[in-house]
Formats: sequence, structure tokens, C-alpha cells
Amino acid sequence: MSSATTAPHGEETVKELWDGGASPFKVGYGKVMMWYFLISDTFTFASFLIAYASLRFAQSTSWPKPAEVFSSIPVHGFEHLKLPLVFVSFMTFLLILSSWTMVRAVQEGYRMNKDGVVKFLIPTILCGIAFLGCQYLEWTHLIGEGMTPTSAAATTKIMNFGQLFFVITGFHGMHVLGGVVLNIWLAVSAANGKFDKTGHYEMVEKIGLYWHFVDLVWVYVFLCFYLL
Amino acid sequence: MNFDEPVQGHLHWTEGEYNDSKKDVMKTIIILSLVTIGEVGIAIAYDHFMGEKGTGKIFINMIMAVASIIKVYFIMGTFMHLKHEKKWFIITVFAPFSFLIWAIIAFSVEGSSWQAMRGWMNLF
Repeated sequence: MSSATTAPHGEETVKELWDGGASPFKVGYGKVMMWYFLISDTFTFASFLIAYASLRFAQSTSWPKPAEVFSSIPVHGFEHLKLPLVFVSFMTFLLILSSWTMVRAVQEGYRMNKDGVVKFLIPTILCGIAFLGCQYLEWTHLIGEGMTPTSAAATTKIMNFGQLFFVITGFHGMHVLGGVVLNIWLAVSAANGKFDKTGHYEMVEKIGLYWHFVDLVWVYVFLCFYLL
Repeated sequence: MNFDEPVQGHLHWTEGEYNDSKKDVMKTIIILSLVTIGEVGIAIAYDHFMGEKGTGKIFINMIMAVASIIKVYFIMGTFMHLKHEKKWFIITVFAPFSFLIWAIIAFSVEGSSWQAMRGWMNLF
């Protein structure tokens, strides 16, 4: 670091190498680190889903059909409606919608529009909380049917399905919870003018990256448990 | 070079860039919604008409896998802004994932071998 500030020749080489002055790839330091965290988190989720694949291939009986396991809407008074996959599609749309409001908040941040950032962060938080609420309803319903990490329901028959389902959707739910907490902090900080003082809204983009990653992981969780 | 206050990249947009981005995101959200509706529609229709027989499930699974890759492309490209980053940054992000190709193949084969062992080795 000291050599870079004292030697003028070293300065030129560093600039040429990174192609963007002090920030590599013309991306802020924090954003690069968020991307690297997300890469490592991808490996955690991937190892869970790969464990799902090998346990599924290892079964001698057939794997439970999603349309039978998730056959009803787990809301009180609607259980008798046999609409498979409708509830989980609604949950998916909550995440897609929250991704859209998040990206709108990031765009407003690029315009230095404080009110716009807060306006779009609030629906993002609400969608995140609604998603967690839906997950609570679904878990309660499935546990009520007898599907727990240590026992199988009549619709699943194999214990591995429940184990994988609760571990993977639970780990994803923890990520959603973390994202909701970060977004609440972000909205409060933005409303207090913290980022107007800093001069840029890069924090919105960093937390936005995390939030989109949670949506991205859901694509694969949804694929493995509800579609395949 | 001042390391204490690094250049933060392109953090302030003009109105033109903002409007282009807004349009791009609107297009992406429509594609994502349509792909999701399509996936769920195919899954429900398959279960309704072919669920008992279970024929052609492999093709349905391939359609679902391709649809998921489409969704991931749009989420990473537009929402996470990756398609506007430097080429070598994109490569840095994607290079580690090549290990996953090996892992998926290896552990699927491993799972099949566990199934084959069930006959003479009652471990599970």
C-alpha cells in the first residue's frame, strides 16, 4: 500500500491491471465482496441440493409426487380445496414481486432519490414477511399431516423427503429472514438520510444482490421439491 | 493512487440510463412471471393427464431444467446487473461453479450406486 503511494511507476501498473483505479473491475469493494459471499453461499445451497439428488437416486421405492404431497391450500378453511401447487406458486410470485420492487429501489438509489428508495423497500419487506408467513402455514400443515424430519406422511412414504424438505426450505427461510432484517435496517437508514451523507446508495445495491440471490435459490428449491 | 477513498464504479445514473433500465426490468419481470406460470401449468397438466402412467417424465424434467436456467439468466443478468459488469468479473463469478458440474454428476452416480447396494447391504 505504501509502495503504491510512493512509487509513481507502481501506480500505473495497478491501474492497468485492475482496469478501474482502486476498485477492481470498476465495481466497489463491498459489491465485489458481496458477490464472493454469494458464490460461497451458492456452494452451501448446492451441496444441500446435490445431497437431495443422491438421496433421491438412492431410493428403491418411487419418490413422492409433488402434486400429492402439496395437494391442498394450507390456509384454515381452504384445506378441502384440492388445488395442487397453487399455494407454492403464490409464494413464488411473492418472491418475484419483491425482487422487482427491490430492483426498483436500487434504480432509485442510482438517481439519489431517497423517497423512491424507501417507497420501494417497504413492499419488498412486506413481501418477505408474507413469504415467511406462507412458509409457516405450509410447514404447520405438513407437520399436521405427519411429515416431520423423523417421520413420513401417508403422502410421502419416504423419510428422506421430509428431512430434505425441512432442512433446505428452512435454510432458505433463514436467508429470507436475514434479508428482511437487512432490508428493514436499510429502509430506516435511507429514511434517516444516511446514504445522502455518504454520497451514494451502493448499500441498497449490495443488499439488493443478496435479496435477488434468495430469489434465485428459490428457483432451484422450487424446481427440486415442487416440479421434478 | 488514493486507497482510502476508492473509486466506487458507476454509482450515479443519468435519466436516460434510468429509463432504459426501468424498461429492461419491466420486460424481465414479465418473462419471469410467464416462465413460472408455464412451469406450474405444465406440472399440473402432466400430473392431471399422465400422472398415473408416468411416461415421458424425463422430457418434462428437461423442460423444467431449461426453464430454471432461463429464470436464473434473467435474475442474474438484469436484476443482479451482472450483464453490465466487466467481462472478467462475470468470468470470476462463474468459474467456481464449474466444480458443481462435477459434483452433480459424481453424487448422482454415487446415489445410484447406493441404490444398487441395497440388495446385498441393508444399511438404510
